[in-house]
Amino acid sequence: MKVESWIFLGGLFFFTPTAIVYGYMTNWEEPVGMLALFMLAAMTLMVGWYLLHTSRRVGPRPEDRVDGEIHENAGAVGLFAPWSWWPLILSTGAAVGFLGLAVGFWVLYIGAGLTVIALVGWVYEFSRGNHAH
Amino acid sequence: MVSVGTVVWLASELMFFAALFAMYFTLRAASPEMWATETAKLNVPFALINTIILVSSSFSCQLGVFRAEDLKPRRTGGLFNLKEWGMVEWFVLTVILGSIFVSVQAYEYTELVAHGIAMNSNAYGSVFYMTTGFHGLHVAGGLIAFMLIIGRALIARKFGHFEATGAIVVSYYWHFVDVVWIALFAIIYFLK
Repeated sequence: MKVESWIFLGGLFFFTPTAIVYGYMTNWEEPVGMLALFMLAAMTLMVGWYLLHTSRRVGPRPEDRVDGEIHENAGAVGLFAPWSWWPLILSTGAAVGFLGLAVGFWVLYIGAGLTVIALVGWVYEFSRGNHAH
Repeated sequence: MVSVGTVVWLASELMFFAALFAMYFTLRAASPEMWATETAKLNVPFALINTIILVSSSFSCQLGVFRAEDLKPRRTGGLFNLKEWGMVEWFVLTVILGSIFVSVQAYEYTELVAHGIAMNSNAYGSVFYMTTGFHGLHVAGGLIAFMLIIGRALIARKFGHFEATGAIVVSYYWHFVDVVWIALFAIIYFLK
């Protein structure tokens, strides 16, 4: 995962000098752009560091090695819902909520209620009913 | 895979707070005399205590994550035997500390409104409530996430990696919100 990490960490070496040059060119009096550029560096550092940290933990994956075979990556990748209605209901809740902000505040309460139902439904989808474990 | 997605999303959250910080510094540069009079009304020791509460909640959250990684949801000893606490007990403590933080912040807001800093009073009021308020909403969202994760751990007969992953990514979010608060606290209460 070294390559992925350095793709993100590369941003650090671009945004930090850019931020310093930007700050120097504006006499350190224009904080918005400088701050945004420094925080972009922090953003790339965050993802890059996490990937680097994970690569140390998991070691070289088959796709990191020249002699890697496709079958080595077989097995469980993660838990994915084969089908789920909850994202649709959650997005409907959010849409109704925003509609409420636009047309009338009382609509917002309906959206909020729908959002709570969808959120609980989604989080507990694989913890209850047929999936209880 | 869930955790990588969470970190990428948190990186985008960082840019959201970057916009708020940029707003703070722009208005601060535009009206320094307003900053001098308005920041004098802040209660710094009070906010410092609140900051310590939030930082300690990050530690209790991390101890809960260690228990989740050990796949230990519930305590096996007495209530005050901290060594034998499971993930649920540590997360409940985290939720309590986080709730104290939000409540104290709400109390601080009422104090500041009484001193004449409201969201609509001036530019300082706007940025103060926008920055700390959005952070407070993030904390409140984190508390809801913790409670959902606690619920998952409680209804699972077999606490496995599915439950542990949820606990770990919620802890990432909590640490992020904590770090953002430390930056906000340093800027609003110390740098002024």
